[in-house]
Amino acid sequence: MSPGNDAVLLTGNHAVAWGARLARPKVVPVYPITPQTPILELLTEFQAQGELEAEIITPESEHSVMAACIAASLGGVRVFTATASQGLMLMHELLHYASGARAPIVMANVNRTIASPWGFWPDQTDSVAQRDTGWIQFYVESAQEGLDTVLQAFRIAERVRLPVMINLDAFYVSHSLEPVRVPPQALADEYLPPYAPEHYLDPARGESWGNVVTQEMYWRHRRDIGGAMDAVPEVAAEADREWQRLSGRGWDLVERYRCEGADLVVLTMGSMCGTAREAVDELRDAGHAAGLLKVRLFRPLPAAELRRALAGVRDVLVLDRNFSPGAGGVLHQELRAALYGTAAAPRVHGALAGVGGVNVPPAKIAELAGRARSSEPLPEAVWAR
Amino acid sequence: MGKMIDILCSGHAACPGCIDAVSARHVLAALGPDCVAVMPPSCMAVIAGPQPFSGLRIPVYQASLESAAASACGLRRALDVRGRTETQVVVLAGDGGTYDIGLQCLSSAAERNENILYVCFDNEGYMNTGAQKSSSTPRYAKTGSTPAGKPTRKKNFTEIMAAHRVPYAATATAGFLRDLVRKVEKAKSLRGTRVLTLLIPCLDGWGVPEDQGIAVARLAVQSGMFPLYEVEDGLRYTLNDPPKSRPVRDYLMSQGRYRNLGDAQLDELQREVDADWARLEQRAQASAVQ
Amino acid sequence: MSALPLPPTTWTTGNTDVFKTGTWRSALPVYRNPPSPCHLACPVSGGIAAWIRQAAVRDWHGAWTTLTENNPFPAVAGRVCHRPCESACNRGGYDAPISICRLERFIGDLALAEGWRHPEVPVTRKERIAVVGGGPSGLSAAYQLRRRGYAVTIFEAQPQLGGLLRDGIPSYRLPRSVLESEIRRILESGIEARTGAALATAQELERLRAEFDAVYLAMGARRQKRLPGLDYAQPWVMDGAAYLAQANAGAPPALGRRLAVIGGGSAAMDVARSARRAGHEVRVLSLEREAQMPAQREEVIEAKEEGVAFLEGAMLCAAAADGAGGLELDCVRVLFEAGARPGEFRVTPVAGSEFVLAADAVVPAIGQDPELAPVRSLLDAEDALIRTDSRQATSLEGVFAGGDVASRARFVTQAIGMGREAAQQIDRMLQGRAAARASAEPALPLEAINTYYFPHAGRARDARLGARERLRGYAEVQLGMATEQALAEAARCFSCGNCIFCDNCLDYCPELAVRRSDGAYAVDGDYCKGCGLCAEECPTGSIAMREELR
Ligand SMILES: Cc1cc2nc3c(=O)[nH]c(=O)nc-3n(C[C@H](O)[C@H](O)[C@H](O)COP(=O)(O)OP(=O)(O)OC[C@H]3O[C@@H](n4cnc5c(N)ncnc54)[C@H](O)[C@@H]3O)c2cc1C
Ligand SMILES: Cc1ncc(C[n+]2csc(CCOP(=O)(O)OP(=O)(O)O)c2C)c(N)n1
Ligand code: SF4
Ligand code: SF4
Ligand code: SF4
Ligand SMILES: [Mg+2]
Repeated sequence: MSPGNDAVLLTGNHAVAWGARLARPKVVPVYPITPQTPILELLTEFQAQGELEAEIITPESEHSVMAACIAASLGGVRVFTATASQGLMLMHELLHYASGARAPIVMANVNRTIASPWGFWPDQTDSVAQRDTGWIQFYVESAQEGLDTVLQAFRIAERVRLPVMINLDAFYVSHSLEPVRVPPQALADEYLPPYAPEHYLDPARGESWGNVVTQEMYWRHRRDIGGAMDAVPEVAAEADREWQRLSGRGWDLVERYRCEGADLVVLTMGSMCGTAREAVDELRDAGHAAGLLKVRLFRPLPAAELRRALAGVRDVLVLDRNFSPGAGGVLHQELRAALYGTAAAPRVHGALAGVGGVNVPPAKIAELAGRARSSEPLPEAVWAR
Repeated sequence: MGKMIDILCSGHAACPGCIDAVSARHVLAALGPDCVAVMPPSCMAVIAGPQPFSGLRIPVYQASLESAAASACGLRRALDVRGRTETQVVVLAGDGGTYDIGLQCLSSAAERNENILYVCFDNEGYMNTGAQKSSSTPRYAKTGSTPAGKPTRKKNFTEIMAAHRVPYAATATAGFLRDLVRKVEKAKSLRGTRVLTLLIPCLDGWGVPEDQGIAVARLAVQSGMFPLYEVEDGLRYTLNDPPKSRPVRDYLMSQGRYRNLGDAQLDELQREVDADWARLEQRAQASAVQ
Repeated sequence: MSALPLPPTTWTTGNTDVFKTGTWRSALPVYRNPPSPCHLACPVSGGIAAWIRQAAVRDWHGAWTTLTENNPFPAVAGRVCHRPCESACNRGGYDAPISICRLERFIGDLALAEGWRHPEVPVTRKERIAVVGGGPSGLSAAYQLRRRGYAVTIFEAQPQLGGLLRDGIPSYRLPRSVLESEIRRILESGIEARTGAALATAQELERLRAEFDAVYLAMGARRQKRLPGLDYAQPWVMDGAAYLAQANAGAPPALGRRLAVIGGGSAAMDVARSARRAGHEVRVLSLEREAQMPAQREEVIEAKEEGVAFLEGAMLCAAAADGAGGLELDCVRVLFEAGARPGEFRVTPVAGSEFVLAADAVVPAIGQDPELAPVRSLLDAEDALIRTDSRQATSLEGVFAGGDVASRARFVTQAIGMGREAAQQIDRMLQGRAAARASAEPALPLEAINTYYFPHAGRARDARLGARERLRGYAEVQLGMATEQALAEAARCFSCGNCIFCDNCLDYCPELAVRRSDGAYAVDGDYCKGCGLCAEECPTGSIAMREELR
């Protein structure tokens, strides 16, 4: 198969691998884990076929994968990797390290339950648990979106000098075959120029990275990371617009689906969005003014855009396919925090829907929406399935 | 030596008389300027200087404690991609970062025979955190976490690396500087994963006077506690001079960390050293026959 | 005013040498050149560490040049010196002293074999110097003065130069060819020697003073001390000096079969051993016990090897013919105690230890005193010696004295050293320069040497001719070193206080604070933390830590 503008059938994983291939990363450290493995396999296949000119490193663990990613990135080249669940957990320390290093790594994470006990099910707890690591996070709903987001992610990462994580739900996205338009390489190249960092490790440059800093330097360093994060919504919006211009496809940071005049909005991330769309359609068909807000960019949370999108909405139903014991649904918490203190804020209802990958059919979402309309919101999210 | 061009800089923060600094100085000078260093937290990383100043005149990447070798691999590949295939990637790690927390990724790098030079600055403990034991701490040495003396043996790291069949694994120490420099030069001339373990008497951690670091390093070798040898391709063993020529007592008594060592313990250590030495000799002889 | 840009938080912009870590220090190393103990013990102040180092690196000519700066007689001294350097040698406290003397001989012999000459020095000074006495002391002074550009004339009573080197020391210890060569080489540097020209009267000395700008008196001590109670008129008594003079000239006097040699010094040994070569049965009577004898250890050992019998701690009281053609020597055992100054002693006879010894002749060799008659009226004497100050100046202006005539330290190299000292002083006097202040720096102690750099190694074995072979003639007893032996021996030397440019100080400094700059090393105080590694790893003690008060 060769890239072109015709749609081909790809799984979410393969679409992500295609996105990575088109981005021309130079170093790809990677370690297998279900359900990410097909990404690894396709990339190594591309490389073996000479279609991907990259150094593939296969270390003994995800921890070393991330270590190699950071050092390679500081070595001045574009770096891509992919993982899931336990792998992401193992990387945790180095996720902070990567953002601290301002290394524009792009990583796909296939959202999967984290042990123990063992499971292989779609669940976003793995990635939302990394929300404080300084990584930009996208959640994608489809294979096509996965491919496009990989390319966008590099553009954003290299502009703000922060790493980006693209999350796709296990199986529902990672393994579902969909028609995907694989853009031609020339188009990807036009969109994503070669990586040319200002600083990198090289004997000819002599500069070193990572020496011990003073309190004041650390403070500034963290503030600067904050500044970079703050710039992400604008940079990401630009990246999406530009992609739209070139490829005809844009995905927005927060997608509004049938939100016009909605008094109830369902808000969620990833594969749940597909189910939620059906539920919204059903509700609209039944005469209810319901809409869907798809949070594509979760880190940084595009709070201003969410506030705008929710202005005048009476009820928001947040569906969290993740669980933070003692806190509930992470998106629920984040949205409440984002809306706190805004004039005429909507009522925010939280549901732990789909934790552990359990099926949440459209009817269930409609039912939860009905309940939200008719009852006062609770501070905690409620368990739903 | 003498005429070497230094890569290490003055003004670093090592303790007075630090053998880490002396060793790094010669390792780096022998490697030359076409080199990039990877350093996990350790005394060496302190010597590397506080931001924005570097103690080295080559680029340094300060890695996390457990990921030095993995980081070096990433950097190696990035340099390769950029056409810098002749640039040396050298890891300057402590024993804690090597024998313990970093062994996993080093093993992996060695198995892939990544083209890196890994230098372990073996001061037989976690010195940067105030002298606790590592798996490199020898039996009966007192550390902050083994106040009564460590009950178990020092891990044989060079054997572990040899078992990976790396092209080159060797021990050396600044106490025998010419040997050390020769080994760095040899390592530099090879490709693949090359591993040097340098014994670094830690003045504070071992209880050694500031001007005695080199002398103690020599005793370590002469007593057979730290034999100098090389293993090529994991199979060919060469014992380097000087051979074991003194009782371990001479070495142990030169350091505070072995204070109050009993005669029975001393004898036991002597037996261990004798047995280890005999085994090494056998391997060297067997290699000579091959 | 614009604020300085804040330092970046991750990428470095400079190096740590902006930090002057020298402020941490409480002691600073000093690069120094303290005297070696051998040097301080050497009567010619021979720069021993330096020339041995040159030898160690096969710079033989350099070594000879260094040697002959102080001593024009390396081949002679390398055979007959009493070796105080070796007794002082730091290596003695470690395993065995360096065989300095034999190394010196090796270099001296090499120079003779190679025909190396002293550099030609034109006469650049108008002043002329007279030297009275052409023994080692006079020759040494003449040589040093000539090197300094003076015209020198030696006045020697005998027909040949050499003094006791010729008249006293037998050729089996000092082959004549060696002696002749070294004397010739000295003379070739342009020294006038008037032999058969004895200074006999005070007037002659005054005349010398008038003709010359300075005079060095080195007449030696040639008047034999006499044993009281011994009738020197008897045909069976012969003075040791006379014996040796004849024996050395190749005509040993015919005395009876059994000789009793009296004395414990070099002269007595030489008499005894020469007599053994002439076929006598020889017994040496000395007041001293063997360990107290002024003769060198080796001489005693070699004498024994050659069949000389010893009666130590014994005194000859009277001698008389036994009526049967032989002699009866009445002797007594004594307790010998050395005095504070050389030559002083006390003997206590052991009651009831009298004994009688049979012999055919007695040869006393108990020492000499200078003949002071010609000069006594003009200058001060003390204790039968010309009195001099520490720089060899006598009480008479422009007149200096040294060697046996002015000292009881009766050794060849002492005589050479005094000649050198006198020459330096004459030069200073004539140039109106003040004497350099003598350095009071103590010798470098063994503790300052890092003996790690000097693995234990045995001293070169002294090789000698077999005793039987020796008695067949006058072949040289002590054999020289082979080149490899000399090199190995030179390599044993600690080079005490003498930098060998090994770069250890530079290499082992963790702070890169030691630099090499024209033939020396300097410490950069900006960075030196005062750890002391450079001093500790200096093999030669050429770096010491000096405390700094801040
Ligand atoms: C038998 C013997 C063996 C010895 N062996 C050793 C030994 O092995 N090692 C050692 O270190 N020392 C030895 N010594 C001592 C050593 O030889 C003397 O200390 C040394 O030679 C003194 O040197 P000098 O130049 O002062 O005197 P001398 O060597 O005595 O030379 C004095 C010279 O002055 C000349 N002279 C004397 N009077 C006059 C005058 N009025 N006018 C002109 N010329 C005059 C003499 O003829 C003689 O040539 C030995 C001595 C003797 C007697
Ligand atoms: C993951 C992790 N755990 C613990 C530490 C704390 N730490 C820093 S250095 C060090 C010991 C290092 O010992 P070693 O590698 O032997 O180097 P040395 O300080 O002795 O030179 C430790 C435990 C750390 N930096 N990272
Ligand atoms: S070791 Fe050498 S320098 Fe030192 S005292 Fe002996 S001869 Fe002299
Ligand atoms: S080794 Fe260096 S730092 Fe230590 S005392 Fe000597 S000059 Fe100073
Ligand atoms: S260490 Fe070597 S070079 Fe330095 S002063 Fe001592 S002898 Fe000289
Ligand atoms: Mg350590």
